[in-house]
Amino acid sequence: MLKETLLLAKNIRTDGYDGSLEAYRRAGGYTALEKVMKSMTPDQVIEVVKASGLRGRGGAGFPTGMKWGFIPKDRKPTYMVCNADEAEPGTFKDHFLINNDPHLFLEGMILGSYAIGCNHGYIYIRGRSVRPAQRINEAIEYLYKAGLLGKNILGSGFSLDLTVHRGAGAYICGEETALLESLEGKRGQPRVKPPFPATHGYNACPTSVNNVETLACVPFIVKEGAEAFKKIGTPNNYGTRLVGISGHAAKPGIYEVAMGVSMKQIINDLGGGVRGGKKLKAVIPGGSSSNVLRPEEIDIPFDFDSVAKAGSMLGTAALMLFDEDTDIVELAYRTILFYNHESCGQCTPCREGTFWLRNLVRDFRENLGDSQKLERIGRVSQQMFGTSLCALNDAAAGPIKAFVTKYPEEFKKHFI
Amino acid sequence: MPGFSSAVMKEVEGIFQRYPRKEHALLPLIHLVLRENKGCVPEEWDQVLADMVGVSLNHVRGVITFYDMLQREPRGKHHIRVCTSIPCGLCGGDKVLERMEDALGIHAGQTTPDGMISLEEVQCIAACDKAPLIQVDDHFAQQVDPDRVEEVVAAMRRK
Repeated sequence: MLKETLLLAKNIRTDGYDGSLEAYRRAGGYTALEKVMKSMTPDQVIEVVKASGLRGRGGAGFPTGMKWGFIPKDRKPTYMVCNADEAEPGTFKDHFLINNDPHLFLEGMILGSYAIGCNHGYIYIRGRSVRPAQRINEAIEYLYKAGLLGKNILGSGFSLDLTVHRGAGAYICGEETALLESLEGKRGQPRVKPPFPATHGYNACPTSVNNVETLACVPFIVKEGAEAFKKIGTPNNYGTRLVGISGHAAKPGIYEVAMGVSMKQIINDLGGGVRGGKKLKAVIPGGSSSNVLRPEEIDIPFDFDSVAKAGSMLGTAALMLFDEDTDIVELAYRTILFYNHESCGQCTPCREGTFWLRNLVRDFRENLGDSQKLERIGRVSQQMFGTSLCALNDAAAGPIKAFVTKYPEEFKKHFI
Repeated sequence: MPGFSSAVMKEVEGIFQRYPRKEHALLPLIHLVLRENKGCVPEEWDQVLADMVGVSLNHVRGVITFYDMLQREPRGKHHIRVCTSIPCGLCGGDKVLERMEDALGIHAGQTTPDGMISLEEVQCIAACDKAPLIQVDDHFAQQVDPDRVEEVVAAMRRK
């Protein structure tokens, strides 16, 4: 029987823990910050995060220490931006942290800001998450009062302000350059890269954009050391993941597991399998942007590299289960509807591709499909790959192509 | 031309302090307009916002038309959002929306004639373990049973 490995959710799983500053400190919170302020240089913080092998939890899995190392040391100001714009269907792990233990990622953010020499950080949170934004603002207020934010933190000479910036309902703002555009008061449309945010980010200054869960890992790494972090997980995939199980699962929710444990076990032991004793038909392993897996494909280690090898993506570790009664065409339609709606319209292949895919899948949904249309779905999605400024285009085309390739029989049921 | 009260102007000054350029404060200022104007941005505010942050009218309109939350029409006293994305849509969210439209007598995107309740169909609101999900004002209602939608609406009307 698979059990949780508690690293980020340790406090949250403790009875009576309320996520207040007092409770967080009682559980050993902000000791990593005290340690760093007293005895570590910014470079030492970057080194320990590099040595831990921590990879970004937002979806792409880029090494965090390396990202911080890219920030030039001779250009000021620099900015730390926390990406809390969690909006990918199936994903709710960052909100789990924000709502239940906001100080964990805030401590990580202060440590990261110190590491890259940032004196003003921004937390970009989606506009509809009104209460979570309030939760962070309250936590920040307590930090100022306690002298853990503001000028001269813990007498170290390091100063930091944090500002919560609310989006206004656009999934694309989770893409880091679109997020920066939005933070600058513009339409949230992705930028041409290079230059990358590390040299020209917020307000054209060096900027590091990091996900909530990524930052939440940092206090542990700083406090316990890189080796302690590397004891959890598998090589190149160290640490834990907050897995969000949803869909037709018997026990949906957030579960924290060591990376590399069996995905099948996560689904059956933690998620309780499919509800109502039904059979499993499909699994989406890492949010709506990741390719669907058939039940016979899920006996794999749940980490970045293994899920990629299986032809999908660990992404946001949002495991969605679908039972035998699920109409895959309906699932595909909901998926493409989302991407068509959220395409920012800047790049033609994405704007038009998501539109045509939506229309094609809709035809099947209305029982107007035929073999030519099935083939056309494959062709349109193939033509979309790699043709736009950001990953939304591929994130729309990939899953749709996977649905028709892996479940052709489901689409054939909807032929005229 | 509309404008903020002097109390809100103090908030505006505080917001400007937190950004290196005034124009970066456009979204936070728009959120204030939403708060003060029943959840919408009336068109006559566009020029006011442009002047306050120092950008063109077109810039402001470009921003307002880009983001989903920024609507021109006032919302109802209560605002209901129904998620029909995955996984909600496949766990009964579409039925919840259907029943909601029937119970309110309006389509998604509209407001009841008495101005009490407005309805919006939304994509993922990040609490997928509780699908199907609706958001009433700032509160989430989880695992909504389509058969109980009428009760929910009746209870809201009584409030």
